[in-house]
Parts: sequence; structure tokens; C-alpha cells
Amino acid sequence: MSNPLSNLKSAMNKTIFKEASFSKERRIAVREAIREKQNGNQLHSWKENTILAVLESLLHEPKQGYDISTNLFQKQELSFQGNEGQLYTLLHLLENKGILISKWIEEKKYYSLSSKGKKFLASYKEESPKHLITLKSLLEEASL
Amino acid sequence: MNELEQLAKTDTFINDREAIIDQLMEEYSDSILYLVITYVKNQTTAEDLTQEIFIKCYEKLDQFKQQSSLKTWLYRIASNHCKDYLRSWHYRKISLNEKIWEYIPSKSTNVEEEVIAKSQESNLTNAVMALPIKYREVVFLHYYEELTLAEISKITTININTLKTRLKRAKEILKDTIEEAYDE
Repeated sequence: MSNPLSNLKSAMNKTIFKEASFSKERRIAVREAIREKQNGNQLHSWKENTILAVLESLLHEPKQGYDISTNLFQKQELSFQGNEGQLYTLLHLLENKGILISKWIEEKKYYSLSSKGKKFLASYKEESPKHLITLKSLLEEASL
Repeated sequence: MNELEQLAKTDTFINDREAIIDQLMEEYSDSILYLVITYVKNQTTAEDLTQEIFIKCYEKLDQFKQQSSLKTWLYRIASNHCKDYLRSWHYRKISLNEKIWEYIPSKSTNVEEEVIAKSQESNLTNAVMALPIKYREVVFLHYYEELTLAEISKITTININTLKTRLKRAKEILKDTIEEAYDE
């Protein structure tokens, strides 16, 4: 017996690991846990149209949250109806991602488009679906 | 594998990250399970922990830098996760109960089991599994996984000289245990 450890791999495979395998069910469980994490952290997955409606409402002038909400309502964009808090979450997220910038005027927070936000909006108007996807992924990523 | 690492390194969106974890599971889930069994000595617990390890990888994927290979990174997460588990209050409470049972000799050992237990392979496996954790881990990674001491050092964050000493000591203990088993 020179070095019994040279047989360790086959020895363990034939004994302790013989019945051991990370089953398909276990893998599916991992996948489900990951999906749940995504959904849980995301709180709400916004539709692209909603995001674009928010950006569009800020195209010409800075607005406060309440005015954005009114503007969306006028445009028949009702995603935040009865759930206005979500609008502020989205605004916050867009600000974190550098798409919006904000300014406090007389204790009210006014949002406006950053140059990055303007670019996003412009590329959308060129009807480039690629940018739309990028925008959404950006948001999903930000909310993780 | 390089392609996968490339993917992990670049800014990834959610679906890519999910795909990376899928591929990691495809390639390494059994190996990780074996590693975890070696640490915790219980298959069901090991399966639970392996599940948690892959979820942890998903959460930490952003932190993967290409200083190490994706495999080394995965093994390090696994090794740390097992050690955290073994240190946990839950484990120590459970294992104490099990240890009490180990001291009560079992009457039900049948002849067949005894024959299997005498086989060379079982002797070696049992001897390795009976090693204290700090020796068992390096023996497994070196002789089963065939990793170099440098790689093991990256996984365990233990320096190479310490690993060498442990490996030497582990071999001495194993030699004694196995010889004893043959003398019986």
C-alpha cells in the first residue's frame, strides 16, 4: 500500500457518493427560488408604456409627482390608479438610474429628464424596439 | 467554460444570470453535492445546502471577478456555506443528539453490512470521513477533486504551508486508522 489516497476518488464514488445526485427536482427548486427573488424584490413590474408615459410627461417641463400622476391620468395611463405610491417608487428608481434628475423647490420635489433620459425617449420615438428592451432590463436590474 | 466566465464578468441582465446558474448546476451540481456531503456527512442536509449554495451564487454573481475561475469561486462559496452551517446553533444542537446515539452500540448490524464495511473502499472512505474537518477538507479537495494546493488555498483562504502541514498530518492519521482496520 504505497498511497491508498490515490484510490480515494473511486472509493468514495463506490461508497458514500454512490446514491448521491443533485436531482432535477432540486434544480427546479433552485430556479423557482431565483424567480421568486426577482419578483419579490421587484415589487411591481412596470410596463414599458407606463415608463415611457412618465418620461414623456416630463419632456417639456419639470413636474412634481402629483402633476405627473394627473398627467398620466389624462393620458388614460391608469397603472398607478389607487396605487400612487408605486409611481414614487418608479420615479425614485429612474432617478437612481440617472434617467431623471430632481430638484427641491419650496419643499417640493420636481423631476425632469436627464440627458440620458432624453436619449432614451428619443430612441424610443425612432421606434427602435431594442432600446425599449434595454430600458426595461435596466429597471429590472435597478430594482434587484 | 471561458465563454461562461466571460458572460458572468460582463454586465448581465436577469435572464443571463439565470442561464449562468443553470449552466453551473449542469456542470457542477453533483461535484458540489459531494463536497458538501464531505463536510456535513448527511445526504439530505447536503442537498438542502447545495440548493442554498446555488441561490447564493445567483445573489453574488455581480461580485464575481475574474481573478479566480468560476469553478474556484463556486467552490469557495460552497466551502464557506458549509462551514457557516457547521458553526450554526442549529447544527450543533442536532449533532449533539446524534452523537449521543453513536455511543449506544447498535445490535442490528447484520452480516452483510459487516462484509461491506470490511471492504477496502469503505475502509478508506470511512477513515477519511472520520478525519477532523480541517484535514478532511484538504484531503478531499486534493485527492478527490485533484486540485493543486494553490487552488485549495484560494478556495479555503488557508495559506499553502498550512495546507501542506495538514495534508501530511492527515496522511499519518489515515495510515494508522487503515492499518488498524486491517489488523482487526
